[in-house]
Amino acid sequence: MRGLIALAVCRVALLWAAGITVLFPVVWIALASVKTPEQLSDPFLLTFTPTLDSWRNVLTSGILAAAGRSAIVAIVTVGISVVVGSMGAYAIARYRAGGTATRFGMLAAQVLPPAVLVFPFLTMAYALRLNDTLIPVIFAHLSFVLPVVTWFLIGFFEAVPRSLEEQAQVDGFTRFAAFRLVVLPQVLPGIGAAAIFGFTLSWNDLFYGLILAPGKAAILPVAIAGFNTFRGVQIGSMSAAILIAVVPVVIASFFIQRRLVQGISGGAVKF
Amino acid sequence: MKFQHGMVAPLVALFVGVVGFPLAYAFYLSITDYRLTSHGTPKLVGARNYVATFGDAEFWHAFGTTALYVCVAVGLELVVGLAIALALQKQRWARDLTRSMLLAPMFITPIAVGLIFRFLLNDQLGAIPQMLRVIGVDYDFFGPGRALFTLALIDVWQWTPFMVLLLLAGLQSIPREPLEAARVDGASGWYVLRRVTLPLLAPVLVVAILLRCLDAMKVFEYVFATTRGGPGTETETLQYFVYQTGIQFFRLGSASSMAFVVLLLVLTMIVIAFRRMEKAKTS
Repeated sequence: MRGLIALAVCRVALLWAAGITVLFPVVWIALASVKTPEQLSDPFLLTFTPTLDSWRNVLTSGILAAAGRSAIVAIVTVGISVVVGSMGAYAIARYRAGGTATRFGMLAAQVLPPAVLVFPFLTMAYALRLNDTLIPVIFAHLSFVLPVVTWFLIGFFEAVPRSLEEQAQVDGFTRFAAFRLVVLPQVLPGIGAAAIFGFTLSWNDLFYGLILAPGKAAILPVAIAGFNTFRGVQIGSMSAAILIAVVPVVIASFFIQRRLVQGISGGAVKF
Repeated sequence: MKFQHGMVAPLVALFVGVVGFPLAYAFYLSITDYRLTSHGTPKLVGARNYVATFGDAEFWHAFGTTALYVCVAVGLELVVGLAIALALQKQRWARDLTRSMLLAPMFITPIAVGLIFRFLLNDQLGAIPQMLRVIGVDYDFFGPGRALFTLALIDVWQWTPFMVLLLLAGLQSIPREPLEAARVDGASGWYVLRRVTLPLLAPVLVVAILLRCLDAMKVFEYVFATTRGGPGTETETLQYFVYQTGIQFFRLGSASSMAFVVLLLVLTMIVIAFRRMEKAKTS
């Protein structure tokens, strides 16, 4: 009995420790974003009059425009991936279309080091005079978002009972209409989860953006990376910019955490 | 054209466009002397870049650094992640909130995570070194011999949640009967964990470790945000080394050949892992 109580105490202590470890850096950054540069040099200062100077600086700097560009890249990438990916995933899940090669390709592309693909994208962007625009970034992001979204959706489509489409075809639907009007609504939650996950992947990526659009078309992670000059004055603004990048995806993530395991495992494991 | 072929065609076409073609083009680059700064058509140099990469001490140094980083980070993530997953499985109070909060770090932009820790662990301004100083410890997180370990800890902070997510799902799919049978027979909790839970969890463990290793190998953001490869070249990881070769020194040909060697290593790892899994299944 005493052993069980000790174990329960350990369990709760571990979870509290984990919770504090997760929250501490984020809370600290939030505090730093409302401190003045002088207050920043004293980390233990907890009672102070908050200032919104850093937020004002960030909102008038290019950060919001960079966030807008990041949103454009992520939305276009995810939009294309979801439309093309859901059609393809359905054909793969139901008809084994494209054979094992297509299925394997979707999986293999997820482990491709970005360093392999980035230089071709860069030279092509130069050749087409598209360097430092969003177009090569979107193409580069498609190279990892499309396979992930498709892989997720194959699993979700396989979970839909076949009898649904058979019934729809008996009722006179064409195959495409059966897909669009009967099957798609069934996997809508899965598509939503795949879309949000794809969005966070694109929104969080630094590597491609840094190489393909480092200048005037910088996306948010690239703009944030620009804060690493690290003069004292900039820490407040950096903290505010980090929060702008972090908060939307963390909130969105709360809605998809349960479906994530199902998606990663290709539908094999449910949570 | 048959219905299913029409449905899969856009996917295949787009996939070839954004993955297949760039991959082939990268291979072409890797056998040329392409430089970003030079004009005119690049010359084919055959396997020369590959020979140079295999003989490049700096490349193998970056390889060793990355391997050490992956081992430390994924090893810690496995132990901590398993402990947290076991604890979460029994958690009833505020269950969904606890899970959502503990899983949140894996969704944060990695460059932001890198900058947050650069600030928190900074020798002069950082909160954590100052707290350590209060209890009499003077520890420079980004000093020689320590920086790589600090980077691995940042990885642990961000990616242990991924381990927790997969292991928690694995734990919940384990059948109840063997666990209960072991308990009825009077086995201790530790014995049940080692002899019943972990073997049943093995397939999920292998997948989780493999996915984490493949992802940790690509580490770039933390290095870029904090140490930029320093002190010296201590924290130059593969991805950062390839980035430097290609972008700072404009040597796209060599950089591409290095990237292909990395890809080869990744594929070898996957093949070995799958062989192991097949063996485990048959035995």
